[in-house]
Amino acid sequence: MLDLIVTNRFAITAVVLFGIGLLNVMVQKNLIKKVVGFNIMDSAVFLLLASLGYVDGGTAPIVGDVGFHPLYINPIPSGLVLTGIVVSVSITAFALALIQRVYRRYGTIELDELLERAKKEAD
Amino acid sequence: MNKTEKNWKSQFVSWVNGEREPKDRTLFVMERRHIAPPRPTPEEQDRRERHRLYRFLHGYPLAALIICAVLVCVLLTAVAAMPDFGDPDNPTNNEVAEHYLEYSYEETGAANVVTGMILSYRGFDTLGESCVLFLAVSCVTLLLRREPGCDEEDPDELRRRRQEDELRRRNPDVILTQAAKLLIPCIFLFAVYVLLHGEESPGGGFSGGTILGCGLILCSSAYGPENVRRFFNSRIFSAVRTFGLLLYAGLYGFYIFMGANGLEYGASFTMAIDLAVGLVVACTVYGFFALFSRGEI
Amino acid sequence: MIILEGILLAGLIVTAVAAALCKRLLNTVIVYMAFSLIMAVLWSLLQSPDLAITEAAVGAGISSILFFLTLKKIHGLKGTRDE
Repeated sequence: MLDLIVTNRFAITAVVLFGIGLLNVMVQKNLIKKVVGFNIMDSAVFLLLASLGYVDGGTAPIVGDVGFHPLYINPIPSGLVLTGIVVSVSITAFALALIQRVYRRYGTIELDELLERAKKEAD
Repeated sequence: MNKTEKNWKSQFVSWVNGEREPKDRTLFVMERRHIAPPRPTPEEQDRRERHRLYRFLHGYPLAALIICAVLVCVLLTAVAAMPDFGDPDNPTNNEVAEHYLEYSYEETGAANVVTGMILSYRGFDTLGESCVLFLAVSCVTLLLRREPGCDEEDPDELRRRRQEDELRRRNPDVILTQAAKLLIPCIFLFAVYVLLHGEESPGGGFSGGTILGCGLILCSSAYGPENVRRFFNSRIFSAVRTFGLLLYAGLYGFYIFMGANGLEYGASFTMAIDLAVGLVVACTVYGFFALFSRGEI
Repeated sequence: MIILEGILLAGLIVTAVAAALCKRLLNTVIVYMAFSLIMAVLWSLLQSPDLAITEAAVGAGISSILFFLTLKKIHGLKGTRDE
């Protein structure tokens, strides 16, 4: 059991982080903390993806005459995660811009106050 | 008879004139309309709403916690069934990865296999991602851009911003200007180095573009946005962004449709595509900063 | 190496939980910067230097700058209503 945890340490951490991020997104009342939770979820998924490509004893996938190395890690998951990191920051920027507009309109970013003020305006 | 006739005629005449409704001789009698219960008073409604909100806000976190715990347990059982970490016989290490590692240098001219892969073997993914960056800046522009003369401006905000600009122009921040004088050349040099060496060493379009954008942000913070607008104003910003994306699309389309790995000069395409990606990312990063802090590029 | 990775992974979980429990928004963003930094070191340990450079520049750099700018606009630098 213990060596199962030690062998799959990256995947277990990724799953736990995903759960923490999801709980943040669902339960937090402050909108900024929701966005932070979203980013934590993103990072957890990237950690899981990139840990699939690791090979014991492998080195960074830069071939050439730097010095012959017989074993390289798998470059494919690394490339996928590179795209993901950049998309994650774009989504964060967009979410923060929306939060600024919400604040300009309603004057608050706590969710329960926001709902009350929106309901008052709808009446 | 006279009376009935008169009655009948006068009734008909008054009906034609619209003074009287005829007798209801419908075959099916309509059901009695359902009368709603009396509307609750506003205070009662308010109390009910608040009670519902209270129950939701107190029962919901517990349900969320249970859902997350169940999800984590299910995923952990899946993790236990995964192949060993770092095993060379992983199903993910198949012949595609071997092909990339072996032939990347000859076919794409990139010693850095990851760069060669994302810019030529899997270049469509990177094109889609550049589109996402472009779109993100456009959306943030739509949300946050303020014309200088529009009447959405809060007068206090306007006054405070003008005061800050005046203060910064009169006595600029000593630490920031002196540090910027030392750091900006180094940052730009490093950014160009990372951008151009994307094929030989770690780095490439994304990292180089981000560092370039950070250099522009430092310029803008230390010397004021007017000085940056002298060589990088709004029109140049849009032009560079669009040009980068179109250059990528054009080059990569040409590369793919003209034979891809069979081209003799295919190695130089990778560097040009790298530069295009770097331009788009740098503009994105600086655009985000400018729109967030000032509302205009 | 396994011990180092274990410590860093535990640090990841600790920073993630701490970011959720902070009262002030400024502290949340700073702890999120630490999270990104530990992530960047982990990418180096997984032998992916591209990811390490990109995560350091983007996560601990750009993302945090955007958070700080937003906090300034929503007047959240002085604390939330919990204080």
